[in-house]
Amino acid sequence: MKQVIVHPERCVGCMQCMLACAAAHSKTGALISAISESPRPRPRIHVGAGRYDEGFPNRCRHCDPAPCQMACLPGAIYRQTTTNTVLINPDVCINCASCAMACPYGVIRYHADPLAPADKTIAVKCDNCIARQHKGLIPACVEVCKVGALTFEEMDAAMKKKTDQVARSMSAEAIAADHAPGFSLLNTIKRAQKEINLSR
Amino acid sequence: MNYVIIGNGVAGVTAAEAIRQIDARGQITMISDESHPPYCRPMISNLLEGAVDVSRLPIRGPDFYDRLSITPTLGSRVTSLDVNARTVTTKGGQIFAYDRLLIAAGADPRPLDAQGLDLGGIFFMRNIAQVQEMIAALADTRHALVLGGGLVGFKAAYSLLKRNIGVTMLIRSGYPLSMQVDETAGEMIQQVLCDHGLTVRTGISVTAFEGGGRVQTAHLSDGSQVPCDMAIIGKGVFPAHGFVPTDRIDTDAGILVDDHMATSAPGIYAAGDVAEHIDIARQKRWVNAIWPEAAAQGRVAGFNMAGRALAYRGSLSRNVIRMFDTDVMTAGRVSPRDTDETCRFFSAADHRRQTYRKLVFEDQILVGFVMINQIEQGGVLASLIQSRTPVKISAHHLLDPGFNVSRLFDR
Repeated sequence: MKQVIVHPERCVGCMQCMLACAAAHSKTGALISAISESPRPRPRIHVGAGRYDEGFPNRCRHCDPAPCQMACLPGAIYRQTTTNTVLINPDVCINCASCAMACPYGVIRYHADPLAPADKTIAVKCDNCIARQHKGLIPACVEVCKVGALTFEEMDAAMKKKTDQVARSMSAEAIAADHAPGFSLLNTIKRAQKEINLSR
Repeated sequence: MNYVIIGNGVAGVTAAEAIRQIDARGQITMISDESHPPYCRPMISNLLEGAVDVSRLPIRGPDFYDRLSITPTLGSRVTSLDVNARTVTTKGGQIFAYDRLLIAAGADPRPLDAQGLDLGGIFFMRNIAQVQEMIAALADTRHALVLGGGLVGFKAAYSLLKRNIGVTMLIRSGYPLSMQVDETAGEMIQQVLCDHGLTVRTGISVTAFEGGGRVQTAHLSDGSQVPCDMAIIGKGVFPAHGFVPTDRIDTDAGILVDDHMATSAPGIYAAGDVAEHIDIARQKRWVNAIWPEAAAQGRVAGFNMAGRALAYRGSLSRNVIRMFDTDVMTAGRVSPRDTDETCRFFSAADHRRQTYRKLVFEDQILVGFVMINQIEQGGVLASLIQSRTPVKISAHHLLDPGFNVSRLFDR
């Protein structure tokens, strides 16, 4: 089955995935109408700044076993095996934040959600856009990503690609191939700026 | 193989499930002094608050025992364990033989030393039955007394305040949650509850209760009196291993277990609030009587009992509490009683946002934190403590509310 794969080295931090995610999880499903909805739709992917201000799209890894699922007091968190997705049942969630204490990536947020019971604050996180997937669409963050930092691929194929990359770079004769030269340049500049600022 | 599990809490349940993953045919017997099917103990305070009803508490479906072919013996407390004969005996005289035994008997509330404890309206808050009795008594309750400023005391006080019942809390130490947080955080938490009607009195305890049938007055150690028609005793818990022969099974505060949750006696394992393993932040033996560790320990114990060697990495004390609009998360060593001169402290407070956070390091290893509000990244910090990963970035980045996990990656 296909899964969202994050390529952090390609992220430029444009945050379009956040916007697309919020719109995809709104009542109306479109950005133009979503902005006037109440509660305001919020993203479930969170672009943060890394050590040198490089972008990083932080989203649920759908861990197996999932620490949030094991920590959930009312048993609201479960795994949908057909899509390998960890989901939160908004009706059962009691907003106790036990999952916040368990998530090693800090990707769970707590707020009212357009798709949950009205005015109820609940734990909210990435659901792999399963509603879109049912309609034959790919996850909204992947669809909108312009730089290939988020892809929707078969996990085995993606792993093979990465293994091949690493294997090639291990050869003594190999010239270190830069798989994303433009992004490396951008991140090098960001890093240099940061280091120059730090040295002042 | 004949498995006997003492205890019907989350440790016993996850152990039974782990056993069944490996051994489909072995006999499993679960013995519990509580008569309810497995339920979520931390949620009894939500029940008291009225936020959930009792139907929401079970952690497994009604077919749990049937589905896993478990023979339950409920409402029956184990009173003795014969290591040589490999049997356990219940209060009612029933004898169970075992090949593998799991002691997941949990903990009992620490009793209070005061007169008049036989009066009505005086409760422990440890199980569903006690909370249901409290709820039944709420209609005639105007003012409650909560004894103890620990987690149970706080959750009880919060739940009663939410039901518009006046609460006076008595705490012996200088500030509430002194086992879990530092003084600054403790006072912030206290202020939140006081803003909602809580009265807190420190350095004081109850000497006697008085009333006709039901409690009406509490006499305090300074000679004063407080009117109350309900009292909740929240003085902590102690591991329920009174039936364990300590000459045959090594015990300290809890039953000592190795990395496989095995005790010093052959075929006997322990997990949950009754077990004592290593605390990751303290790097010494410790009982962390918390729900997520009980679930993890039960699972490890179950696998090992059924023959799959699996090691447990140690426990971490941690808690998260939401009260009114304030969130508190804490893990590891934060309280002054847990820290010393080898620790380095970093803290930040934002009065406008009502946030406070403090990190405790030993060299480059994070060993504790407390956060008030904006707790979403707390799990990242907790996992840093659990993995004992040296933190190479400035602690001030970890204090920043905009912090995210990618700062920890060295790309």
